[in-house]
Amino acid sequence: MLSELWQYTLTHGADIWSLTVQQLYLVAIPMACAIVIAVPLTILSTRVKRLYPWIIGFSNAMQTIPSLALLVLMITIGLGIGIVPATVALFVYALMPIVRNTHVGISGVPNEVKDAAIGMGATKWQLLWLVELPMALKVIVAGIRSALVMTIGFATLAALIGAGGLGSLIMQGLGMADNAIVLAGTIPAVILAFLAEFLMGRLERLLTPKGLRV
Amino acid sequence: MLTFSHLGKTYPDGTDAVVDFNLEVARGELIALIGPSGCGKSTTLRMVNRLIEPTSGTVMLDGQDYKSMDPVELRRRLGYVIQQIGLIPHLTIAENISFVLRLQGVNKQKRRERASELMALAGLPADQYLDRYPRELSGGQQQRIGVLRALAHDPEIILMDEPFGALDPLMREQLQDELKRLQQAVQKTIIFVTHDMDEALRIADRIVIMRAGRVIQVATPEEMLRNPADEFVAEFIGRQRLLRQASEVAVREIMLDNPAMVSADTGLAQSLEFMRRRKVDSVLVKGPNDVFVGAARARDVQRALEAREQSKISAYARHGSVFVGPDDPAMNAIHHMLAYGLDAIPVLGPGKVVVGIVTRGTLAGVLDDALRTSAAAPALEANA
Repeated sequence: MLSELWQYTLTHGADIWSLTVQQLYLVAIPMACAIVIAVPLTILSTRVKRLYPWIIGFSNAMQTIPSLALLVLMITIGLGIGIVPATVALFVYALMPIVRNTHVGISGVPNEVKDAAIGMGATKWQLLWLVELPMALKVIVAGIRSALVMTIGFATLAALIGAGGLGSLIMQGLGMADNAIVLAGTIPAVILAFLAEFLMGRLERLLTPKGLRV
Repeated sequence: MLTFSHLGKTYPDGTDAVVDFNLEVARGELIALIGPSGCGKSTTLRMVNRLIEPTSGTVMLDGQDYKSMDPVELRRRLGYVIQQIGLIPHLTIAENISFVLRLQGVNKQKRRERASELMALAGLPADQYLDRYPRELSGGQQQRIGVLRALAHDPEIILMDEPFGALDPLMREQLQDELKRLQQAVQKTIIFVTHDMDEALRIADRIVIMRAGRVIQVATPEEMLRNPADEFVAEFIGRQRLLRQASEVAVREIMLDNPAMVSADTGLAQSLEFMRRRKVDSVLVKGPNDVFVGAARARDVQRALEAREQSKISAYARHGSVFVGPDDPAMNAIHHMLAYGLDAIPVLGPGKVVVGIVTRGTLAGVLDDALRTSAAAPALEANA
């Protein structure tokens, strides 16, 4: 079977590559949206406290829906099939870890540190940029890390609603009962997941200020 | 300089935290606000830099109503030190000291220069500390930095909210002396909140004693000791301080009963961490059956750690034979301290088990009384 896999890779190398790139887009776009929207919104919710239950409630609910059902839901709410509904589904699915960790990170900054900073005349923005964000960064990145790994896994399912990516190879292989094709889709997906986990781990360490490293 | 006029704070639920607080503070004066917890002393302090907004009255700064100023600008004219210190953990000591300058947009090199300057002022070795992080420092060292930080932008007024309350008595006294010295050197006006009468008597130019949001008495330490305004003030000053002599007081009555203690087989790093956590500069070491072995100083342990010694804390326990019993007169503890040049003496019960500790701080109060009564003694002799 390994030789069959090798054979398939030789003949369809370009396809596997382009599907891998498609997979990357399928992960990167919803992740970028999730970060850009969830982080600032959650920080806002540490200031305007009544916002937080709504934000965490929504992102929790989205994550609770089984992933397959979430994809199908996209179709039933009229987004149809293809890359757009898949991106929307992946986006809402990735929110929860980011929201939760951003909130934990920012509200975990000790009160005495904030009290001292405000008492010394820090403005709201200075408090955020010079004190809260640097101290919370590690936790926020950890949230992004787990969101990313989940999204890479979920992205292979997006092929079910015609979004392409490595999932379509797996689906094709399953349909043709051809394990070589299934593996040609699975292996790059697994490598992507491990790579993301590794790189984010490094990033997390890099972004932890020296005074906070243990 | 600073005038409080009819300052008051009533919370929405109707509780009066501070009622009609009036005070005129002169330039260079150190005012201690004191009273039992919940008396409104901290609230009063936090109203000065508008971390709490008063519900009535105002504060005048050099004749200007502070309500006309922007709170951020106001705070940058004041220094602020709190009990929990609140150093920023991801910034180095240099960056922490000069944090206010950073808020004001001063460039990095100038900030560092200012930090070294202040370290020199406090007599701390700058090159040894500037690039360290707060968690590498003991509690006492951290609060020294906390005080320097409040001086960075050369404010005329410094607010201190129980700055030494979490430190052990010995360290507290050292810092009180340093603060007093520093204040004489830089001539700042200081508003100092404390619940410790010893501290207030030691460092304040004037003491404001509060109860239930109201000012009970404003007086110099001397005046307050001689003429307490009422029962409450007298009680707060402590009758024993006014009446007793060192020779009559037993060690038991003045000792602190919860000394920092580790067992002999504790590792060095662990012991140091424990001292940091307890914010003390030395720790008592106990062997099997809780028998007292000696006292280890943070300085020695730190040095051994840096030299990568693998030994246990017991190797650094000194003066195992120097102690007093709980029923000995306090005078004995003083003799021991002088004879061995120590800052603290353990108190051992039966079986050489540690029951407490006497520090210089606890003795200072007793000595003070002894001096006061001995001034009255010659009259008695003349009669005899």
